[in-house]
Formats: sequence, structure tokens, C-alpha cells
Amino acid sequence: MARAGRLFRHGGGTVGSDVDDAYLVRRAQEGYVDAYADLVDRHGGLAYRVALRLLGNHHDAEDVAQEALVTAWQQLPGFRGNSSFPTWLYQIVTRRALNRITRTRVTESLDLLGDVSDAGAGPGQHAERDLTVDAVTAAVSALPPPQRIAIVLHHFEGLSNAEIALITGSSIPAVRSHLFRGRRTLSKTLAEWR
Amino acid sequence: MSSPGQPIDDVNLLLSDANQHLACGADIDELLEQAADGYAGQFTSHQRDCVYCQAALREFGRVWEPVRSLAAERVAVPAALKGAVASQIRKLVADVWYTLQLNDGGAIRIAARVVARIAREAARDVPGVRVAFGRSSHSRMASLVERAALGHRHPNAAVGVLGRTAVVDLAIVAQYGDELDAVAREVQRRAVAELRRKVGLRDVTVNVTVDDVIT
Repeated sequence: MARAGRLFRHGGGTVGSDVDDAYLVRRAQEGYVDAYADLVDRHGGLAYRVALRLLGNHHDAEDVAQEALVTAWQQLPGFRGNSSFPTWLYQIVTRRALNRITRTRVTESLDLLGDVSDAGAGPGQHAERDLTVDAVTAAVSALPPPQRIAIVLHHFEGLSNAEIALITGSSIPAVRSHLFRGRRTLSKTLAEWR
Repeated sequence: MSSPGQPIDDVNLLLSDANQHLACGADIDELLEQAADGYAGQFTSHQRDCVYCQAALREFGRVWEPVRSLAAERVAVPAALKGAVASQIRKLVADVWYTLQLNDGGAIRIAARVVARIAREAARDVPGVRVAFGRSSHSRMASLVERAALGHRHPNAAVGVLGRTAVVDLAIVAQYGDELDAVAREVQRRAVAELRRKVGLRDVTVNVTVDDVIT
């Protein structure tokens, strides 16, 4: 029966869901483009999510996620598998997002509220919820980049300090210190808003 | 530092830069970390008896509630993202083309990736095959394709005319315990048949690599 079930798995399940990331990475490195498409299926969401939290708006997040996923493909031949594929992807997305933040720092916060409302529920609905989302998003986006990255990776992605240190090429004490400062700043902003 | 007996009603005051400890000596950053991580209600033995700590944790927990609820929300990934990435990668990987007809009306060509896709789909239908990936190449062009796929910086020169001959590499993961030889031969047979039927390729070679098994 189990085998019969497999024969009908084409209905919509992710192709290649039986195998681990390392297998897909190896096949993709050999030039099986489909294997990379499966990796994008699995982890494309991560790229977009992190970019959205770091940049605060849908448009930039989509751009950065796309850039990061294409960059990952281009750099795949050099990926030795020392870390997991998601960790490596976090690294690429974070770097890309950081580039964009530093390039557009002057204007970045101007249109945040509008942009984020678009990405939420329908217009006019859940007005209070949107206000909260906007306030948190704006507060996160106002953090200096190192604190923002640490806060997003820890509090939004649930990563440990050690994982964040690996991703950012930093030390665990430095990550901890960015988190401490980021939490203070964010708390003060949110307390004022409330 | 907060004074004894005074309720903590101002997070900003509490978190002013000079403030590192509560009146009881507890580290403010560690309390904030505890609340932000969602453990404001889980007291240590000291916190169970400490009004300062409890008040601070309550305040921090309240301030962080919106952050925690936003973080818990599922983010909808734009539907177009995957397609956009795929199309950019296709541009990076130079494609090999199979020309099926060349006549006065023009040429009919089929991308190698389409050939690979058909072989892959055929392989996935074979009992015992858990995962299959297809890659199309041609003995004469194989090294070019290989380089295009690995180096991702191939000029348009890799767009080749390969006629009606195709070489397809299939990498499959099989069910442990199945006769691998029989599974692989069935994959070969079906892929060849499908490529002949759907694409009209005459000379088809299908290389099957069983490179893993799953229980």
C-alpha cells in the first residue's frame, strides 16, 4: 500500500521532499537545475521572510529575496556544505539586505507604513492589527543595521546566538550585545507608541 | 535604578542607558531577554519573591507582545518569486536546443531542459523511484553543457543544434529493497519511450544513476 501511495504523489506534494537538502545541493552542483528549483521551493520563503523583516516593505523584500536566490545558484559551485543550506542562504540574504539598507538609508523609513499595509490584509480591515504591525515594522526598521539583523534573526527567525554569529561572521558576545541594545531601543520605541 | 516601593510604570526610564540593574540587583538586560523570548511568566526562584523583577517582566512582556505576535504570523511568500528566480537562472544557464525540423517555414526547436523534464516525469512514475532529476546533454556537447551548468557564465555559443539525437542523464533515488537493476531499466525504458512519443527524438540514450536509496 505504501508503495501504491507513492505512485500517486504527483498531486502537489513538493518534489524531492524525500531527500535532504545536502542531496539536492549535490545534484544542483552537478547541473540538475530541477534540484535547485526544489531547494527554492523549500527555502525561498525564508529568503523573502527575512528580507521583509529587515527591509520593512514588500517590494524591496521581493527584490532582495530574488537576488539572493539567484546569487546562491551562482555561488553554489563554491558551497562546500560546511553549514546547512538554510544557514548559507540566511548569510546571502542578510548581506544583500544590508547592501540595500546602507544604500537607501536616507529615505528608507519614509514610506514604510504604506508599503507594509499593502502586504497585510485587505484595506480598511483589521485596522488596529495593521497599526500594530506597522508600528513594530517601523520600530524594527529604525534600528541600526547590526541590531536589526540580530533582532530579526533571533526574535523573528528563532535562531540561536551561535547561529547568528555564524551567519553574520561575528562572535557570540557581539551578537548578544547587539541583541541587548536592540531590545532596549525597540522596547523604548514601542512603549512610546503604546 | 528604580527605588523600592515605586511601581515600574515607565519602561523608558527603566531602560535608560545608565540603568543596568533593578533595586534587587537583577540584570535588566537579562530580564528583557527573558520577556522578549516569551518567558516573562516563568519565574526563577528569586523572581518568585521579587516584586521588582515581576513588575519589570510584566512591563517588558506587555511591550514585546506585539513583536511576538508579528513574529508568529505566517508570511505569505509572493507567488511570482519562484518563477522569477527560475527564469533568471535559465538565462544564466545556456540552453542546448534540439532541432526537430528545419524547413522553409522555419525551425522547430525544443529546449534541452524540456527534454530533461519529460525524462524526469517518466522516471518519477516508475514504482521504486522516490526522487528523479533529469539533465540533458549530448556527447559532443556534453562538456559545454557541463561547463554551462557549473560555471553559469556561458556565452550564447552553447545554443547548439543537436538534431534528433538526445542524451539524458537521470539521477534517481530508489526505494531500499527494490531490485535496483530492474528499477533502473524500467526508468530507461519509459524515459526513452516518452521522449520518442512526445518529442519525436529518434536516437535517445538515457543514462540512469541510482545515487541513493531511501528506506
